[in-house]
Amino acid sequence: MKKLLLTAGLATLMGTTAMAETIGASIARFDDNFLTVMRNGMVEYAAGIDGVDLQVEDATDDVAKQLDQINNFIASGVDAIIVNAVDTSATEAMSQAAAAAGVPLVYVNREPINVDTLPDNQAFVASNEIESGTLAAFEACKLARAAGLAGGANAYLLMGQLSNQAAVQRTKDVDDVIGMDMCNFININDRQTAEWSRDKAQDLMTNWMSAGEDFDIVFANNDEMAIGAIQAMKSNGVSMEDVIVVGVDATQDALLAMQAGDLDATVFQDAFGQGEGSVDAALALARGEEVDQKVYIPFQLVTPANIDGFLSKN
Amino acid sequence: MADQAHGVGGLTYDKSKRGWPNEANIFIALIIIIAIFEILGQVLPYMNGQSFLFDTQERFDSIFNEARLRIIILQVAIIGIISLGVTQVIISGGIDLSSGPLVGAAAMIVMSFAQTELVNGNPNPKAVFGDWAFDLPVLVPVIVGLCFGAFIGAINGSLIAFTRIPPFIATLGMFLICRGIAQWWTKGQPVSFPTESFAWLGAGMMPVVWFLLLAVLCHVILKYTVYGKHTYAIGSNEDAARMSGINVKRHKVMVYMIASMLAAFAAIILSSKNLTAQTGMGQFYELFAIAMAVIGGVSLTGGRGSIIGTVLGAMVFGAIQSGFTYIKLDAFYQLMAMGTIIISAVVLDQWRQQRAAAAA
Repeated sequence: MKKLLLTAGLATLMGTTAMAETIGASIARFDDNFLTVMRNGMVEYAAGIDGVDLQVEDATDDVAKQLDQINNFIASGVDAIIVNAVDTSATEAMSQAAAAAGVPLVYVNREPINVDTLPDNQAFVASNEIESGTLAAFEACKLARAAGLAGGANAYLLMGQLSNQAAVQRTKDVDDVIGMDMCNFININDRQTAEWSRDKAQDLMTNWMSAGEDFDIVFANNDEMAIGAIQAMKSNGVSMEDVIVVGVDATQDALLAMQAGDLDATVFQDAFGQGEGSVDAALALARGEEVDQKVYIPFQLVTPANIDGFLSKN
Repeated sequence: MADQAHGVGGLTYDKSKRGWPNEANIFIALIIIIAIFEILGQVLPYMNGQSFLFDTQERFDSIFNEARLRIIILQVAIIGIISLGVTQVIISGGIDLSSGPLVGAAAMIVMSFAQTELVNGNPNPKAVFGDWAFDLPVLVPVIVGLCFGAFIGAINGSLIAFTRIPPFIATLGMFLICRGIAQWWTKGQPVSFPTESFAWLGAGMMPVVWFLLLAVLCHVILKYTVYGKHTYAIGSNEDAARMSGINVKRHKVMVYMIASMLAAFAAIILSSKNLTAQTGMGQFYELFAIAMAVIGGVSLTGGRGSIIGTVLGAMVFGAIQSGFTYIKLDAFYQLMAMGTIIISAVVLDQWRQQRAAAAA
């Protein structure tokens, strides 16, 4: 046993000090709030490990640029690559480029289209998107029932960028939830994209309200849009007691909106944890260790009842 | 759309033959667009006979759907403020591509000086500086923002006036620099939770109030001051302006400074309206601001255009955006239609100019 521990200890020592490992990471956008938390998770975690050198690049939402960055990483001989895909349907070329060069590749946060056919030294670290939209939408349905709206409720749905898999999935989750017997009393007045943006959501919500239709629920694909809708409703004199608003992400701004009684539910996606997890997976693959090809970091529902546990996260 | 283009095209501006101002064409276009949405609302089966502009549910005291009137102008007010500056730049024969990213950078900087210490009793989780920067008087962030705008504008203007590089290149460079500043300022983290007095600047209909106040101000300086006359003169014929004794270089720097200060002010209002500043703010604003000016009859070749036209151009934008949501049109079609409208506006403008030149 002692011997085993000793060898294990030695191995770790060698792993961390003898070899300096470089990881190249390409992030879809630097100016996205959630991705920034994730990126900081990667950077801080990597900085805490001796001999690991992490280089992060901004793909500025440009598919072609991202592939160039990956090829540049390969050319400069990194030990592993982390990709937060700009476009989740354009990942096949990236997988091929990395596999051809024998460089391990880890996708983080956004599920690549080839997730089920990844080569051996590639992996995917994220939260399971189906959970997030479903958790939020189902909570809205429960709240609406509790508020006595089971006879019929109207809703608006704010969608993220339509080219984004998370937006498509979270929207589908809402449709799935209101397709259930328990929640089929909810009718969607209209659904539009506000491109994840608070400002666009404000304008969209104000436009909807100017039509004068009744509504009880606002589903938003993310918290920023939920906050935008809340701001629009408040400045039009709508009482937030009467409307159920749910988002996804559990950002700081959203949690404080929940404390103020405006937001009813959101879903915590562990951005920091995803960043850390991607670095872990990349290092393990670089050292030739076994890694699960799909590493899921769980989503958690956040409501006023359990908000205290989340205030210091994200 | 074709009918409406024809309707506008028939009313070309020819000063020598009739005193029909160009702005009237845009106003007519605005009314036609609103009428089209009104008709669509009645015709489309899923609209249940809802009205675009009128109050059919007796929600308001007047006959109009006041909420609709408000949002039409509210949603373009902030980009409208930018387009007031862009209008002056284009009239002077230049172009400013940096205004959108400038909004992002200025918003980040401004909001850092506008933060409040306690949010619902919690310490501000997004604090950028130390304790000294909390709960500053509202004038501090405003002045910081305007100074930043003036600084960027001075660089833009000096580059264009003194190194003689094309405005397109100078402001394209500044476009990237400002986006970089926005991301560097907090390493991408959003800045939130302003003081109440700062939040008042962009609350409710305040963006519209600022937009209209600034529009009146810009209209007056463009139309009735030496500054305005020189701006038109430089845009019409730069060499002639120089020979008649106008200090063209100094004037250009001034025009770009004013434009960037207006963009910075738009950033102040935008971050106040949203109660947050984020690095991605202002995306495409420069293009929409230019489009509003162009739809409003500002000629990209310089020397022609007016603030009234730009304000009407902004309202056309607002009416179209609100109308698309009203008829529940999907986002894909919205982009296509918006692009088509911008192109048609420029084509019409070209056509109008050629006719005017032929008549002269």
